[in-house]
Amino acid sequence: MNRSDLYNQCCRFNGQRVRITCHDGRVHVGEITRVNRNMVWIRPDENLGGYGLGFFGGYGESGFGFGIALGAIAGIALASAFFW
Amino acid sequence: MTNTYLDLLAYFGIGGAHPGGFNLTKAILENENIQPNESVLDVGCGTGQTAAFLAEKYNCQVTAIDNHPIMVQKARQRFKKIKVPVMVLEEDVHNLDFVDSSFDLVIAESVIVFTDISRTLKELSRVLKSDGSLIMIEMTAEHYLSEEQQKLACSLYGIKEVLNTEEWILQLHQTGLTQVEIINTPPELIKSEINDINPSIQINMDLFDIWDKHNEFLLHNGDFISYRVFKCRK
Repeated sequence: MNRSDLYNQCCRFNGQRVRITCHDGRVHVGEITRVNRNMVWIRPDENLGGYGLGFFGGYGESGFGFGIALGAIAGIALASAFFW
Repeated sequence: MTNTYLDLLAYFGIGGAHPGGFNLTKAILENENIQPNESVLDVGCGTGQTAAFLAEKYNCQVTAIDNHPIMVQKARQRFKKIKVPVMVLEEDVHNLDFVDSSFDLVIAESVIVFTDISRTLKELSRVLKSDGSLIMIEMTAEHYLSEEQQKLACSLYGIKEVLNTEEWILQLHQTGLTQVEIINTPPELIKSEINDINPSIQINMDLFDIWDKHNEFLLHNGDFISYRVFKCRK
């Protein structure tokens, strides 16, 4: 997915629980709280206590969770869904 | 025949993409006494989650088929990766390449509704052994659907009609599957965690639109359309 599609997709999923897979294989699950042209912020399902994952300035304090660079993202989809 | 809803599932590579998800699959299979010498056909195997589970847990002879080339490719990838001996084939369920009475168990998880129902049931009944079982999870009308609702469901999901429980049973009876049992399931359309996913590198943005339309449809029609799990024997 190119950067602009990814941005649009993140905007569309704003406020919803998503599963983000990064190019390095890491998977993040949480609610999208904020999106800009470079980053998407998610509030993860489990708050791990403000360290470990707090490398983007610490999540919890801002309420936005933590940011993931759009360039690091391989794919994004809703975290749960009902399908036929 | 192309079906954009099934393309959505194929390109995102979503495992357990049927009502109840993989948890329902496991719950149903737990009650089946599947033996290692038995042959099982997984119709519309998708990315192969159920087929792999069958082979791993029960050590039975599993054949997995799907008509979507991307599904078949992703299923094959999965079986190879985890080294399970599942035979996977691209097949048209209306016209199967198996001899009569080939399988002890046929499982179809939200598949038959996407096909020509009576032709498919006939074909599945043909390949089922006389003492075999067909288990199917299928979209079912919960209440009377207006013409508009039927039309919407048909165009969105690429199906011909949404049957109610009695109509499904009638179809099964007409095919010679006379013993039909309905397995109890929760009536709500509960969301499942999408944690078995193998997305294609390129996903057309149209498929995200289909996903939106699907969610929209569920929101407005979820009280009218649900699903049933049928266990059928000849």
